Parts: sequence; structure tokens; C-alpha cells
Amino acid sequence: MQHRWFYTSILASLIFLVIVSLGGGIWGAEQTIGHWTGRLLEGVCHQMPDRSFSINGVQMAVNTRCFGIFAGLLAGWLSIPVMIRLKASKKWTLRFLLCTVFLQIADFTGNLLGLWVNTNISRFMLGLLLGIAVAAVISELFKQKQ
Amino acid sequence: MNEHDTAQEHKFSIASYWPSIVIVGAIFGLVSFVAGLFFGYQQINSEPTGSFFSPATISSGIICLITAFAGMVTVWHYTKEVSPFLKLGQGAALGFLTGAVITVISLVLSELWVLLFDPEYNQKILESIIANIEAMDMPSSTRDDLIDTMADSMDQSALRQLFWGIPVTGLFNLITALIGVAIFAEKKEDEL
Repeated sequence: MQHRWFYTSILASLIFLVIVSLGGGIWGAEQTIGHWTGRLLEGVCHQMPDRSFSINGVQMAVNTRCFGIFAGLLAGWLSIPVMIRLKASKKWTLRFLLCTVFLQIADFTGNLLGLWVNTNISRFMLGLLLGIAVAAVISELFKQKQ
Repeated sequence: MNEHDTAQEHKFSIASYWPSIVIVGAIFGLVSFVAGLFFGYQQINSEPTGSFFSPATISSGIICLITAFAGMVTVWHYTKEVSPFLKLGQGAALGFLTGAVITVISLVLSELWVLLFDPEYNQKILESIIANIEAMDMPSSTRDDLIDTMADSMDQSALRQLFWGIPVTGLFNLITALIGVAIFAEKKEDEL
């Protein structure tokens, strides 16, 4: 694997992002809105309580879909060394990414049109897949020169 | 590879990043500002419903979704206009800086809007959000706490907004820029 320093820096950033997205609950705060974790992510997520998981009774700093994406990115990033060994082609990783994007759009649209009702778990799982797919596409850049 | 490409490679410097960063950053910054304004006035003109699902809450998600793609677009622009060869770190720098430019431009435009056109804008949004929270079905102590934190949240200085905004927007655009590098950039022969 090449660019190890860069890989480690982004890994640290993603770990920080996931910790922040857990919200004020793990820091002993009574609520996340107004807490520094909530403020850091208020520009990127609607932070609606009924669409967020909670820790210690305090809602997380992002909704379930965003948390899924962040967690998926981290899980995918940790898996990059394995993905490189699997030698998945760029074509397949891009198809995987497009599929996960399509799933997000379909899930959102279906819910909006009343075709089905998505849940916190389903939103989290779809976000997780998207995050992993993004990392899979990026893994191409870490392949060792032949 | 022709002579022109080779010359471009040798001339590669941080200065060659800026046109792509500024053009894409300015466009997405403007889009972010306009979208924020649209949802802001939607919020001001809406009746309190007592639901968390309001224009103000959905605006952040939609703006984030739009602006996160700027990193990828910057890489695409760079590979079309400057050089098709782009390394991982260079793509990451393009993405992060694009995120920073978006945050700065969007914030400057918002401040100018309040300064020149609608000095009561932030106050009107806050009043609308408070009216909505007051219509929510929750214990009064929780409601008061929520109103206090919302008011505190709206009353952030521009410097503080930059401090919160740049790292997060920068990181998201860095990630999408890396996707852009994987899709649009070509590898030099010695990297294959």
C-alpha cells in the first residue's frame, strides 16, 4: 500500500468525525443541540431527534443516515488494505458506488411518495453501504505501484 | 504524451490549483448561499407546525449534499483545464481548499445580505424557529432549553462559523475530490 501517511491522517479524521457524530451523550451533556458536537455538524445535517439514534438518552449529532455514511466511511477506510489485496477492478467499485447512490435516492423518494416508510435502521444501513462504497472507490488510489 | 502535456507537468505548482478551486468554490458557495436564503425565507414565511421537520432543519442537509460534490467537480475541472495528471495528495488539497472557499464565500454573502438588504433576517428566522418550538409537544423545561440553545446557536460570530464550517466542509470535499481523482485523473506511466 502506498501513501501510508495520508491514509493514516484521513483515518484519524474519520475516527474524530465518528466520535463527534455520537453527540453530547458520551461527553455527559444533557443535549446535543448547542453542544460543541452538535455545533460542529449542524451545517451538514438536519439533526432531527426522531431521525437520530441516541446515546445515554441524548440524541446523536447527526441523523441515522449521516451516521451510517460516516461509520461506513470509517469501516471502509479501515478495510482499504484488505480491498487492495482483493484487487477489485475500478469498474466494479464504481458500479457498487452507483448502486448505493441509487438506493439512497430510491429510499428517499419511496418514503417521500408514501410507497414505504423507512426506519432509522434502514437509513443507517443504506448510509453504511454508501460510506463503504466511497472508500472502495478511493482504495484504488492506494494500490502499490507495479 | 505530447510536449504540451509534459511542459504542464513540470510547471505544476500550488498556483495552478487556484483557478479550479476559486471557480468551483465560488459557484458552489453562491449555490449554497442562495439555497440557504431560499430555505431561510421559507422558514420565515411558514406557520409554526410544532414539527422538527421545517425548512430550517432540512436546509442544512440539502446544502451539505449539494456542496459535498464540489471537491469532485474541482478535480474534474482541473483535469480538463490544467493537467489530466493528478496525485492523491494534490486531489485532497484541491478538495479541502474548495470546501474552505465555499464556506468563506457563502458566509461573506450571507453577512452582506444581512448588512445591505435585510438586517432583520437572522432575527426573523430565530423568531420563526422559536414559534415552531413553542408549538411542539414537549415539557416546558425542555422547550425552554431548546429555545435557549437555538438562540445561542443562531448568535454565532462569522469567525466561529468559519472555525466550525471549514474543517467539516473541507473534509467532505476532500473525500469527494478523492473519488474525482479515482474517476477523472490519469496516472503517469511510471505510476502504472
